[in-house]
Amino acid sequence: MSPFEQHFTQTRRDFLATSSCGLGTLALASLLRQDGLLAGEASLPANPLSTRVSHIAPKAERCIFIFLEGGPSQMDLFDPKPLLNQYSGQPLPDSIVGDAKFAFLQKESATVMGTRRIFKKHGQCGMDISDLLPNIATCADDIALIRSMHTTQFNHLPGQLMLNCGAALLGRPSVGSWVTYGLGNPSQELPSYVVMVSKGRGLPGGSSTWASGFLPSSYGGVMFRNGASPVLNLANPDGITPKMQSASISALNDLNRLQHKHIGDPEIAARINSYELAFRMQSSAPELVDISSESQATLDAYGVNRSEPPIKSNLGGIGNFQTFSRHCLNARRMVERGVRFVNIIHASWDHHSALDSQLAHNCQMVDQPIAALLKDLKQRGLLDTTLVVWGSEFGRTALGENRKGSTKVTGRDHHPYAFSLWMAGGGIKGGQVYGETDDFAWHVARDPVSMHDFHATILHLFGLDHNKLSYRFQGLDFRLTGVNPAKVVKGLIA
Amino acid sequence: MMRAAIFITMLLIVGFSKAADDMNYNRDVRPILAAKCFACHGPDEEAREADLRLDMRSDHFDAKEILHRIFTTDPDDVMPPPSSPKPLTNEESAVLKQWIDAGATYQQHWSFMPIRRPETQGGIDGFIRAELKKQQLHPAPRANSATLIRRLFLDLTGLPPSPSDLTDLTDEKYEMLVDRLLASPHFGERWGRHWLDMARYADSSGFLGDGLRPNAYKYRDWVIRAFNEDLPYDQFTIQQLAGDLLPETDPTATGFHRNAALNTEAGVDKEEARYQNLVDRVNTTGRVWMGLTIGCAQCHTHKYDPITIRDYYSFYAFFDNTEDRDEATTKSPTLAEVGKDRRQTYIHLAGDYTRRGPDVVPATLSALPEQTGPTRLDLAKWIVSPQNPLTARVAVNHIWSKLFGAGLVRTPDDFGTSGESPSHPELLDWLASEFMQNDWSRKRLIKLIVMSETYRRTSFPTRLSNANELENSFYVDPLNRLLSHQNRIRLDAEILRDSALAISGMLERSIGGPSFRPPLPEDVFEVGRSSNWQASPAPERYRRSLYIITLRSVLYPLLTTFDGPDAADACVRRERSNTPLQALTMMNDGVFVEAAQSLALRVLQQNPNETSARLADMFHLVLNRPPRAEELSRLQAFHKEQENRVQSGGEEALKVLGIIEQSVPIADRVEAATLVAIARVLMNLDEFINRE
Repeated sequence: MSPFEQHFTQTRRDFLATSSCGLGTLALASLLRQDGLLAGEASLPANPLSTRVSHIAPKAERCIFIFLEGGPSQMDLFDPKPLLNQYSGQPLPDSIVGDAKFAFLQKESATVMGTRRIFKKHGQCGMDISDLLPNIATCADDIALIRSMHTTQFNHLPGQLMLNCGAALLGRPSVGSWVTYGLGNPSQELPSYVVMVSKGRGLPGGSSTWASGFLPSSYGGVMFRNGASPVLNLANPDGITPKMQSASISALNDLNRLQHKHIGDPEIAARINSYELAFRMQSSAPELVDISSESQATLDAYGVNRSEPPIKSNLGGIGNFQTFSRHCLNARRMVERGVRFVNIIHASWDHHSALDSQLAHNCQMVDQPIAALLKDLKQRGLLDTTLVVWGSEFGRTALGENRKGSTKVTGRDHHPYAFSLWMAGGGIKGGQVYGETDDFAWHVARDPVSMHDFHATILHLFGLDHNKLSYRFQGLDFRLTGVNPAKVVKGLIA
Repeated sequence: MMRAAIFITMLLIVGFSKAADDMNYNRDVRPILAAKCFACHGPDEEAREADLRLDMRSDHFDAKEILHRIFTTDPDDVMPPPSSPKPLTNEESAVLKQWIDAGATYQQHWSFMPIRRPETQGGIDGFIRAELKKQQLHPAPRANSATLIRRLFLDLTGLPPSPSDLTDLTDEKYEMLVDRLLASPHFGERWGRHWLDMARYADSSGFLGDGLRPNAYKYRDWVIRAFNEDLPYDQFTIQQLAGDLLPETDPTATGFHRNAALNTEAGVDKEEARYQNLVDRVNTTGRVWMGLTIGCAQCHTHKYDPITIRDYYSFYAFFDNTEDRDEATTKSPTLAEVGKDRRQTYIHLAGDYTRRGPDVVPATLSALPEQTGPTRLDLAKWIVSPQNPLTARVAVNHIWSKLFGAGLVRTPDDFGTSGESPSHPELLDWLASEFMQNDWSRKRLIKLIVMSETYRRTSFPTRLSNANELENSFYVDPLNRLLSHQNRIRLDAEILRDSALAISGMLERSIGGPSFRPPLPEDVFEVGRSSNWQASPAPERYRRSLYIITLRSVLYPLLTTFDGPDAADACVRRERSNTPLQALTMMNDGVFVEAAQSLALRVLQQNPNETSARLADMFHLVLNRPPRAEELSRLQAFHKEQENRVQSGGEEALKVLGIIEQSVPIADRVEAATLVAIARVLMNLDEFINRE
């Protein structure tokens, strides 16, 4: 029975005097709107975070979305192109390059850049994966590798907003916000949507990457910080012990109850609930990131205490290996505890130069912990219902970047027309490569997947129909997948 | 769920349904047609099916056929078709039948009709009382003096009253207080911030570099000054949209349209960025001044409102020859008209900046009274012309919404056909007409509203002891649209922080100037790339929250947690959420902890001896009323409990003194530490977080 029904089965007098309800007048208003009884800007559920039934039976209950900012090079990781080395140093014909836009590359004089990577077939499915990702390669049979992603944006932030929020504009809700809006928060003591960011070059969009946009702020991602106080303002002020805090909350809520008795606004009851939840979060969030109870084998598998090989400079920062491992381990602990959506973010993979050394370094950082995460989830029986995504805003060019003023060609420019992304678990049919690109990974040759197709598929796995999940804003019913038709990629689904 | 929904439906129908002879197209019929029919049978020719439009009387209107299509069960014939996500409910079908049977008369959409000044008896209260009477609801009594004083202070200046401001009000004293607060320089800060929300004001440009806009604050200060000087709204409008075209006018105001985010990333398509920027200017102008979702017509003719794609680009043409400049002496970011190389504006097909359609010339919306003249100044004058039916209505609705928590029209940025209708259309028009008659003075309008009885009522329906009355009010009017009582309003993010600083005596009250950076943990600002965040020194860091720097990639968490705007689009109405993160912020964010410490010291110094007097004093400082006996006794119990804990906690427990440690005599330390905990509880009370 929904909390709302409970209200109406109580006597009417109780309804007005009850102090246990968490339903405010605003919430009631939203419910009336939802039932079509009132037109309105929004159609919010009663309690914005109460859990809700999906449109169809869900396959995924949780998602860990690993966003590697900047555009990792697909032909050095996931999409082997033997012709690259054969044509290295030669220009690409106009028939391929066409009127492509570039950030820095000078089209007239650019030539193909070969690759030093060695691809081998992995798993029973025989998936080609580069030697930079030896551990993830062992999970090939769980992975659906999409080689035919394409996007409309070739600049970073618009591309990242497209990937994370479905539109190249600021102010739109992220995928995690949409999912939380659609399904609510099953956890009583943790946020539904958590974000972890490794300190690196910094994220162009900052918090807009996980913002609730025009959705109410309750649907935004909550950033978990690295350290003992994982949520901003989680720790009590110096001198306030947990017992003092408990007594404070108790006094506070007693006084709030007295006021509620006096004026009867259900919003006060909602406020009381918020403080109780906050108090629970003060112990559950530190517990979440306290990994002392994990076995040594688990810690080692994720590489929580591993050392980082030396590198002179790195766009992705130096000193992030242990942090990234911890984020992957935290992610598992979060989904175990009912967190619905987790973002793991690292910047940057924007290898305009020094691609060989810096891509290798970044890969070394993420390969072991991501593979450990997949195996750990699987071993705990969580992978079936937990979707794991590796993705970025675009890929990189087969042409080497001959930026003005630079003497050496050691990197690749932005490439939105075809790139790779993978998904695993959560109802995904693993052990397959989906889609194909041409000989230079320039254009999609078969089974293109747009950003919105990708989003529609994620929502579908959560049991949400991307055509129906909408929110009224500025007079329009906005959807994650925009106005042009998007499709659920059936071939990816188990 | 079903049961509950039916129950409420019945109540609403009993409450609001109209007799057949009272059928009103705008109120009863158009909302149904707009929601369920216009997408395929509306103004958009491209999308129109079967050549039938239902937004106006057309030759193809066949009453018999339409009724058949509504009521048939044949899936091939029924309308909306089975594939539509929006079928008609039985009630809606019945309303349509009633309307068609009565001759299917159309009305112009209410907000497009001219503003007519209705007859009134008793001004605002007269209009409100009349509707309450129809529903047999009784107005709540007037709130007590303390509540009213706190309400006025928070609504007009965004700061709480100090103990010396609290007095027993007479009507005369009430009016004097209103006048005093309207004249306060903090009035401009409070109301300027409402406008800055709509101006999508920020101190950085957003996107990849999120570059600083070190002079953006000059526009912010102009807004504050304009409110304080009560610059008439028509002038306020003209100066922001076309101040550069007026002789001897400070062009700083045109910074309004310099506030939008701008992509300056390497390799960005400049033409596309320019197009996006202009689109933002057009859409924002439409929403903020006229409450129109004009942006819907960027790609295709509007589905619901009479705005064609040609209208859109004709409107766009007013902005197409502007360029960004920085004013020479002040460096204020301003807008200016280009001198040469003027562009010929054309329709961008499907909203695609690369697809050129027919040429257009600057023109105002075809559905509204015409304006001659092709310049932005002409446009601005048209927007504030008394013949424009939207501007004054939208402006008074926005002001009303800040004083009651919701507008008379609950969709303040959608006065079109898919928005909500006003709860009190005559009141809205009367206010709009008063507003214009009083030279578009916002101060006079605000005074008119806050002087009403409607504004002064308690924020809860009558007394709890009268349960029937309460239930009646709750069920007949669950959203309090009829305003039988005031609304409780959760304080805006800025006002919460400002209030805490004010009652603790820490607030630095200087007005205007460059934005400041309050303390922020390193890992929070480092997620973006504008990562230089050197916290400003005291006392600057204790300035009012509207001066906190707005960096689009590092929005200040305290503000966003309490629904502060993201400066991506014009924010016409803020959400008011209630979340655990808010609880953590209020309890533990540095500024609230410091405020609790300072408040403890303040009370300790005022009342050196007696605990219960200290508690009562502190309670009064925080909530502007004395505690009731039961409240005082709960506080005393907590005080005792906490005192014991502090005593047994020793030095560790005294760390809670923080910034006041040096100021507290050693003998008073335990008491001071206990009072910090009390202050922390009081400043987290729901009553502190809300304005009654």
